[in-house]
Amino acid sequence: MRRAARILSPALRRELLAGGLAGLTGGLVLWWALQAQGMTATVPGLLGINLSAVGTALHLLVAILLGTGFALLLRYQDRRHAAILSIGLLYGLLWWIVGPITLGPLLDGRGPTWSLAEANAAFPSLIGHLLFGGITGFGSYLLIALFHRLRPQSQPVDAADEAPSRRVVILGGGFGGVGTAKRLERICARDSNLEITLVSQSNYLLYTPMLAEVASSGLEAQHISAAVRVSCPHTRFHRGQVVEIDTEAQVVRVRSGGSVSDEELPYDQLVLALGSVANYYGLPGMEEHSFKLKTLEDATRLRNHIIGLLEDVDVEPDDQARVGWLTFAVAGGGFAGTEAIAELFDMVHSMLHYYPNIRARDLRFVLIHSRDRILPELGPQLGDYALRKLRARGIEFMLESRVAGADAGAVFLNDGRSVATHTLVWTAGNQPNPLLETLPCPRNRAGAVVVNGALQVQGLTNVWAVGDCAEIPNPYNEGQPYPPTAQHALREGKTAAENIAATLRGKPVKEFRFRAIGVLVGLGHRTAAAEIRGWQFSGLLAWFMWRTIYLSKLPGLEKKVRVALDWTIDLFFPRDIVMTSTAVRSASPNPQHSPPEGLPAPEQLPPEQPQADVAPDVAEEGS
Amino acid sequence: MRWSEVWRTALVPGALAGLVGGLLFGAAMSEMGLLPGIAQIVRADAALVGFLVLMVLAAVLGAGFGVLVWYQRPGAGETLFWGLVYGSFCWYLGPLTLLPLLRGEGLTWDVDSAQAAFPVYLGLVLYGGATGLVLVFLRWLRRGPAGTLHFSGGALLRGVLAGLLAAGLLGAALSAQDQLLASVAMSTGGSHLAAWLITLVIGLLAGGVFSLLYSRPTDGAGAGLIRGSVYGFFWWVAGALTLVPLFGGVGLTWSLNEVQAAFATLPGYLLFGAAIALFYQWLGALVRLLFSDYVVGGDEEGVGTQGLRIIGRSVLAGLVGGLLFSLVMLQIGFLPDVASLIGSASTVPGFFVHLGIAVIIGISYGLLFHRQSYDVGSALGWGVSYGFFWSILGPLTLMPVFLGTAPQWTVGAVAATFPNLIGHLAYGAGLGVTFYLLEARYSPWWIPRRQAEVARVAHQREQVLTSAPALWTLLIATGLTLSILLGVDPIDGTLIDSVYPPGQVGR
Repeated sequence: MRRAARILSPALRRELLAGGLAGLTGGLVLWWALQAQGMTATVPGLLGINLSAVGTALHLLVAILLGTGFALLLRYQDRRHAAILSIGLLYGLLWWIVGPITLGPLLDGRGPTWSLAEANAAFPSLIGHLLFGGITGFGSYLLIALFHRLRPQSQPVDAADEAPSRRVVILGGGFGGVGTAKRLERICARDSNLEITLVSQSNYLLYTPMLAEVASSGLEAQHISAAVRVSCPHTRFHRGQVVEIDTEAQVVRVRSGGSVSDEELPYDQLVLALGSVANYYGLPGMEEHSFKLKTLEDATRLRNHIIGLLEDVDVEPDDQARVGWLTFAVAGGGFAGTEAIAELFDMVHSMLHYYPNIRARDLRFVLIHSRDRILPELGPQLGDYALRKLRARGIEFMLESRVAGADAGAVFLNDGRSVATHTLVWTAGNQPNPLLETLPCPRNRAGAVVVNGALQVQGLTNVWAVGDCAEIPNPYNEGQPYPPTAQHALREGKTAAENIAATLRGKPVKEFRFRAIGVLVGLGHRTAAAEIRGWQFSGLLAWFMWRTIYLSKLPGLEKKVRVALDWTIDLFFPRDIVMTSTAVRSASPNPQHSPPEGLPAPEQLPPEQPQADVAPDVAEEGS
Repeated sequence: MRWSEVWRTALVPGALAGLVGGLLFGAAMSEMGLLPGIAQIVRADAALVGFLVLMVLAAVLGAGFGVLVWYQRPGAGETLFWGLVYGSFCWYLGPLTLLPLLRGEGLTWDVDSAQAAFPVYLGLVLYGGATGLVLVFLRWLRRGPAGTLHFSGGALLRGVLAGLLAAGLLGAALSAQDQLLASVAMSTGGSHLAAWLITLVIGLLAGGVFSLLYSRPTDGAGAGLIRGSVYGFFWWVAGALTLVPLFGGVGLTWSLNEVQAAFATLPGYLLFGAAIALFYQWLGALVRLLFSDYVVGGDEEGVGTQGLRIIGRSVLAGLVGGLLFSLVMLQIGFLPDVASLIGSASTVPGFFVHLGIAVIIGISYGLLFHRQSYDVGSALGWGVSYGFFWSILGPLTLMPVFLGTAPQWTVGAVAATFPNLIGHLAYGAGLGVTFYLLEARYSPWWIPRRQAEVARVAHQREQVLTSAPALWTLLIATGLTLSILLGVDPIDGTLIDSVYPPGQVGR
């Protein structure tokens, strides 16, 4: 009922009335003209009704309906009397085709022939319909224009001045946030009263599975990221940092760049998709002396750092100093860490022939992992396969060891060992965005907000959460939450969008259900390992699957083409060694080789976790 | 809106323009000896009285026209097209409706009276066009050329080039049907070379004038195509039926029989005008692409992204339109004839060939008309106009060519393909509305949702102020009316018969 009342605004009701009146006038003229020529008006005649009173009434009823339909189709606008007259004539002509030429013979039982003979016989009513259309169009315009002249205050307000009636604010531009925005745009495409706003610090969606390849110079940085404004053209995008979320007043405070003060974004529905940040567990020197792999900037920084190192080492005569510079260490043996070490290995070796003073046997690649087997997400068989494969290439594995700290020239392990290196990549820990701690709602141990099956945040109203920052119960795996991966975040976003749309429309929400189909991990050098629906793949076949599936999941046709081209070029040409920036840590002249002060004792060290959201995505169902 | 202003800027200039148009109209009526008929309105029968009555009517109608186009964009081309639609609408309202009533004869809306009043129809079309152009000229005198006419050498060159190209096509198509000589017969003395020369001169003139009327088209190629078709219709009346015979010294050939005899020029000129507009627009786009530094207003998404989206939407729209059309085809049993394009003669292959053609034409619609429809009204307008355009280009022109004969620009073919015309209109309506609905979800793509709504309304306001609504109505009304009037033999009232499609003798 309310919906009907909303659609039937006073202005529309007025226009429908005017259309009906004008249609009635046109119908009367048509009826009179056909009567005057001894013809029956079309509509009753074709229904086989001969009673003149009933026939006339029916004819006029149809005319009123057509007039109302015209008003509904072409809403009133001032200054368009010429256009409305012209379109009215066209409207009459089209009804001549629908009525006397098509429906007439059809109802007569003859069946339409649309032949010239038929049209010839119906020519009088063609002129009649033309007049009818002109009178209907012009008459309805005239009535409304007259009304507005008599009562100027009745002019409808311009739609642009009205505030949108409902606002959805999405915080975060990762897979969860963009997935929500895209789906919501699609569902509410015709609903212009809904405003979707997305707030994120980076203006692009980063395709994290390919980040390691950017770091290793295999792909261009921009090619694996899609600008939010392009993917979600109907979403209002806001690049800025979320400062405060006020769930009482339903307002988000956002700090943008430049001199503007914090902006307040009111919302009716809020989606938390803030993702996670690197967690160093307070290890001394880690934050300052390690690289992370979370953003495009991180990947480019790492790439420039490594090329800069090679440049420096090539002219360094001191053999002792070269040792640490040519050692590359990665902490964490999950997806991100394993792919990173494999890609770094490939990259450095493929660039080596440009640096004649560096010998391959001086290079050292080390992966530090806390468990006895890398890639715990894959089965033991594939984990062993990856280990074997990478070891055979010459990568060292320090298993069952934990990183205890780092300085500019070395990484220290909890068992007292140390590795001299200037390149430490940290992939061993993540935590949900710290901003969530300010929310008055339950959180899990890691800091993710707890949501129910429909993705609603517990303890808050009109707030939803998806992705790494949410703990979502998995109905397929009782008691365990869904893992924080891209494939899950994307689908959680879709479900959140559907549930928001359902809530706005007063319909029931549905539970999020998704069974991961499998996992893929690239091991560099045309090898990969994959587990899909329990089937295990490895080697070239898995590598081919990795590339095909990830390419198909990359957002946007343009980026797909660009990445495919990058890969093709990579097959035929060496990797690029251009340093795009020199603003990186240069090789330290005096590497220390003793642990810094304040290292925690080994037993106090937190457990390492494989970094989840850089973990590769998975095959879509059916692919 | 003050009355003094309406008086000063609409009624008086309109009436003046109407008087000039009336002079032309009166001259034509006097040439054909129709003035005494007009005098009967005041119960007299002298030609002079008829002329005076006519001038009074012309001034009154002109004043009405001034009010009609008061808010409209003042461009010369826009006003010309409003004049054409106004003139032809006056024919339905005047000689067919009000005039008999004033004479006290009662209404006669039948084909016979309409056929008898056919010369008046041509006269009124010419009157409307002339009134429009004179009104533009009067505005120019008052306010200067801003917004009315814009002259540029480059545009003129493009127009002339487009006109020559289009005239070449027209000449080739006419001579393939042995109609080239007939189309300009009186002026040539039977020489093919002279006929070709005259055709090319017409092309040169038409192209040059088009570039003056529309030096800077503001809308897409599709709108240009429809505008060109109407422009071609104007040249058919003003050129083929009026100027060419007058210069040839045979007088006006406005009677129904003469028009039927020279019928091949009507489809010819419609396509000719469309070709001029399309070539003109494409040449302009090419020049801009190669030499223009203007990058500020660019809001295109790039062919890769936008083109694929358009194709996706228009395939779907083409299928919807094609299914509607198929209903007509199935009912009249025409599908086997379509199948003859691939050498088959049964319904099912015909259906698929037909649907395939519908999709291809749908794609061309998407490419030509994307981002031109801002509400269901304009979607319907562009759609049916494009459908009408194809009812000439398809069954009358391309289909015979693909079947290995010349185009079939004859009255008989038009009469035989009348169901086809209806089918094409249904196709166009389905195509246009579906494409609009699909496009409206995303267009304009670069603005967030709510502003998109506002931008759409602004564009639509702008569109209704151009001649677009006049184009749609004029094309459909003219198409239907002329098909009926010319397809019936005025002597015995029977339909003019023809073998269609070609190569199906004995059907």
